[in-house]
Parts: sequence; C-alpha cells; structure tokens
Amino acid sequence: MTSGDHLHTLSGAYVLDAISDDERAAFTAHLADCGPCRDEVRELREATARLGTSQYLWPRPELRGHTIRAATMTSQLGPVISAHDQAAPDAAALVATRAPVWRRLALAAAAVVVAAGVGFGVVMHDTMQTLHHSQRQNQLIAAVLNAPDAVMRTARVGTGMARVVMSHRRHMGVFMAYRLPSLPRADRYELWLMGPLGDRPAGMLRTRPGGMAGPAVISGMAYGDMIALTVEPADGSRMPTSAPLVLIGP
Amino acid sequence: MARGDERAYEAVYDQAAGWVLGVARKVVRDPAQAEEVMQEVLLEVWRSASRFDPAVGSGSAWIMTLAHRRAVDRVRSERSLASRELRSATAVIDYDDVTETVEASLDRERVQRCLTSLTQVQRECVRLAYYGGYTYAEVAELLGVPAGTVKTRMRDGLIRLRDCLGVQ
Repeated sequence: MTSGDHLHTLSGAYVLDAISDDERAAFTAHLADCGPCRDEVRELREATARLGTSQYLWPRPELRGHTIRAATMTSQLGPVISAHDQAAPDAAALVATRAPVWRRLALAAAAVVVAAGVGFGVVMHDTMQTLHHSQRQNQLIAAVLNAPDAVMRTARVGTGMARVVMSHRRHMGVFMAYRLPSLPRADRYELWLMGPLGDRPAGMLRTRPGGMAGPAVISGMAYGDMIALTVEPADGSRMPTSAPLVLIGP
Repeated sequence: MARGDERAYEAVYDQAAGWVLGVARKVVRDPAQAEEVMQEVLLEVWRSASRFDPAVGSGSAWIMTLAHRRAVDRVRSERSLASRELRSATAVIDYDDVTETVEASLDRERVQRCLTSLTQVQRECVRLAYYGGYTYAEVAELLGVPAGTVKTRMRDGLIRLRDCLGVQ
C-alpha cells in the first residue's frame, strides 16, 4: 500500500463508520499489511463500543421471545478464512484473494476443521466470557445502586472528588473518583474498609488520565464500616501505612 | 438445533439487546426503526457467531460494531442529500435520550466525563460521526473544517477516549 501514512490516519474515522465504502475497502486491505494499525483499530474499537454501550436502553420484553425464535430458526454462517477485521467480511475477502493459492487452501482447510469442531455454544461461550468481564461489575454496581438502603456520599480529596454509594444490606459499596492528585511512580491508591472489625484492604485503585478512578466495587462491608483511601507502595499493603486521604462514613 | 446453543444465545441477547437498542435509538432516533435495527443485529449475531474471534477484540466490541454499522446504514439510506442541513446536525449535538437505566447511568457518566477530556472539535467530530452517522467528509462540511483535519481529530479524540476509559 503506497499511501500508508495517509491511510493510517483513517483509523478513527474507520471505527466510527465515518468513511465511504471505497475508503473502507482500501483501509481494510491496508490493515492486512499493518500490524500496528490492527492493534490501534482494536483498541479504538473497544473505546468506541463504550460510546454505544453507555446508551443502554431497556428493550420491550415482548421483543425477546420473538427475536430469539427468529434467530434460532435461521441458519448460521461458517467462519471466514481469515479475518483481521472480524466485523467486515470484505476484509477477509480481500485477504483471501491476495494470499497465495496454497496458503488459501490450507487456511480454508483449517477453517473447516475449526468449523466442524466448534459449535455455536462454544463460540458463544467465548463471547460470553468477554461480555461478562465488563458486565459482571456492572451487575454488582447495579445491585448496590438498586439496594433499598443505598446511600451516596461525596467528599473532597485534595483537588478532586470521591463518591461512594454503599448498601449495608448488600455489604457492598461502589467507589469512584475524579481529579485525584497524581502520585509518585512508586505509589498507588488503595481502598480500605475501616470499622469495628478493624482495617481491611478493599483493593488497589487504578487511576486513569484526569485522576479518574473506578467505579470500583468494594465487598465484605460490615455494619459500621467506613470506606477509606490511602497512598501505599505499588504492591499494596496489608495494613494502611499512611493516614487516609478521605474517610467516607455510613 | 442444540439446546445449549439456544441457551447461549438467550444469554447473549439478555446481555447485549439493551446496548444494541441504545445505540440504534441514538443513531436512527425513531423508536420503531431502532427496534427493527436491534432485531436485525441480534439476528446477525446469531448468524455470524462463528466469525467472532476473541483474539481480535471483546464480544461487546464485536456486537457494537455490527450494531453501529447497521444503524448507520439505515440512517444514511434515509437521509437524502437534499434534507441534510446544518440544523439537523445541531439537533444531533443537543440530542439526549431521556430514558436511562440505573445500570447504564454510571457507565454513561464515565463516558460523558471522558468525552469532556477531548477538545471541543475532537468531541464534535466523534459525536457527529458516532451518534449522528455522518461521514468525516460530511462532518467537515457541517463544521466548516478541512476533511483532513476532521480525520485526524477523530483519531486523536478516540485515542484520548481510550486512554481515559482505560480500555486495552
């Protein structure tokens, strides 16, 4: 691909579906030759997906049975031969026509073996694993937010804010923060439960640009517990080694 | 049809239908059409499940890619060149769906906050493309900015969004 530099900057428009069909074809062909581009597309696609999933709407319950019946009565497609871009069959077609004949045959044979050995349930199990990874935490968060006794507390942390939603009935809390002060390289934020049962570690808190952190689910809350945030060595501590920056009470 | 396959699919439906409906509603806006898109996409998920490759990305990204592309196809075929005016783009920017579940509210809050870490031009480029279904060339026309600039702003904006959301 001669115009690789020009094409490379299309990655954003590509994952946003903001390009013409011709450009899409050219870019997917370019992806087949460009490993870093594939990595970038994969990452940007994960971020872009969040623009969509954050718009969640509750579907009418009547649609469920109808959609599932319609799907399970429909025949399924076989796997593609090679898919650098799994969502675009045209990419696979381009790759296939470019590969030497023997290689295409070998890949096709491999694909058939895979197709014969892997049923829908197995493939979907993998899909579910990756879905669950993002959803399990959401479900826990929803459980806390929906708890009848859920309370929200907001507190200042240096230049930033921390917010906790906690439910003693569910023994859980959800911690989130933004504009947390940045820490020296060797330090990390750690969450704690502090109360009548003593101080217990509640997990390391990863921060993102802008000092954003969470939502982090804290489980094992006992009656009278407060949620605390301290600065600890990168590996974390079993007992707090510094005074809490914030202590959010029940 | 193996019963296990059907159960696996039901679980996928329960996880993903709301995501797909949400993005479809945002892009096509008409509630009835959004439901059609949702059903089409969930059917496509069933049909092409064997093409999902966990090594290439997460299940949610795969499904959302199918969903967004389908919604954009729908809105583009409806949006004739003649009816495309600046004010419809302004409506897209201001458009905010009223319905919201508790489950989505934190995710939405986080995404919204991350969007504010983008420059204004980056944010408008990303929102017009993703939620408005416009191509970068159309966005350039709407914003009165060179197409090349829009292209790079989209990429820069998504890179910022990626870093802020902490996705890998």
